[in-house]
Amino acid sequence: MIPGKHEQEALREILRRARQEKENLEIGDQWQEAVMRRIREFGPIEAKPGFLLMFEQFVWRLAPVTCLLILGLTVLLSSVIFTPGYDTIQLLMNGSEELTLVQFLGL
Amino acid sequence: MDTESQSLADAEIVLQVVSGDVNAFEYLLKRYQSHVLRIVKRHMPFDKVEEVAQDVFVRAYQSLPTFKRNDSFKQWLSTIATRTCFDFWRKHYRSRELPMSSLSEKHQVWLEQAISNRSSQTFHEIGSQEEAREILDWALDRLSAEERMVLELVYLEGHSVKETADLLGLSTANVKVRSFRSRKKLHKVIKEMLLAQGGRTDDSR
Repeated sequence: MIPGKHEQEALREILRRARQEKENLEIGDQWQEAVMRRIREFGPIEAKPGFLLMFEQFVWRLAPVTCLLILGLTVLLSSVIFTPGYDTIQLLMNGSEELTLVQFLGL
Repeated sequence: MDTESQSLADAEIVLQVVSGDVNAFEYLLKRYQSHVLRIVKRHMPFDKVEEVAQDVFVRAYQSLPTFKRNDSFKQWLSTIATRTCFDFWRKHYRSRELPMSSLSEKHQVWLEQAISNRSSQTFHEIGSQEEAREILDWALDRLSAEERMVLELVYLEGHSVKETADLLGLSTANVKVRSFRSRKKLHKVIKEMLLAQGGRTDDSR
C-alpha cells in the first residue's frame, strides 16, 4: 500500500504517539549526582563578559569620542588642505612668480 | 507560586551561582530535571538520555553568566536542552558511532496494518507498541541531523516554524525548507518500505 493523504495523517499520529511513549521510560537517579560532581569539579563560574560583549561595550563607549574626532578632523582638513589648494590655484592664476613656500602652506 | 515570582526566584538562584555558590545550582537541577528529561527522552535513544541530560545541565551551568534576569529560565533551559540534542545528532551523523537501525518484515506488516486501521482507539492501542518506536527510530535514522530535529519539533511536536528556529538557532527560512524536505523524505522512506513489503507479499503468493 502506498500512503495517500489519509494514510500520511495516520502515520503521523502513530509516530507522534510512539514518541510520546518514549517519555514514560524510567531513568535512574544517579545522573543528578554526576551532574553536581562535574559542576563541582568545574568550580565557580566567573561572571566575566565574553570577548564580543566587552568589544561591543567598548565600541559604544567610544562612539561619541569617535564622532567628535571625525567632526574635528573634517573641519581641520577642509580648512588646512582644501583651502590652500584653492588658494594655490588662485595664486597660480594670478602669477606663479609670487608663490612662496609661506604662501603655499597658507601661513 | 506564579510564573513571574518563579522567574524571579530562578533569577535569584542564578545570581547566587554566578556569585560563586556552586551548590545553589542543585536547586535549579532538582526543579527542572523532569522538564529537561522530557525533552531529552523525546529526541535521544534511551541509552543516551542520562549522558545528554548531564551535558544539558553542565552546559547550562557554564552559560549562566549569559542568562538575562528578565528571561524565563525554563525557556532558556529548553533551548539549551534542544540544542544539546541537536549537537549530539550532528556529531553522531558525522561519526556514525551507532549502527543504523533496521526493520524486520514484522515491522512492515505491523505498519501496513496500523495505517490501514485509522480509528483513534486503534491509534491508542498500537501507539504503545514497541514496533511504533522502532519504526520511528528507523525512519529518523534516514534523515540528516537538521531534518531529524526539524521534523520532530514541527511535524511531531507541533511547534511553529518561529519557535523551532529559535530553539535550534536556525533561520525561519531554513526551518521551512527543512520541514518540507524532511516530511517528504519521511513519506518516501515509509513508502519504499511498504512497497518492499508489498513485493515480498506478492512473491510469497
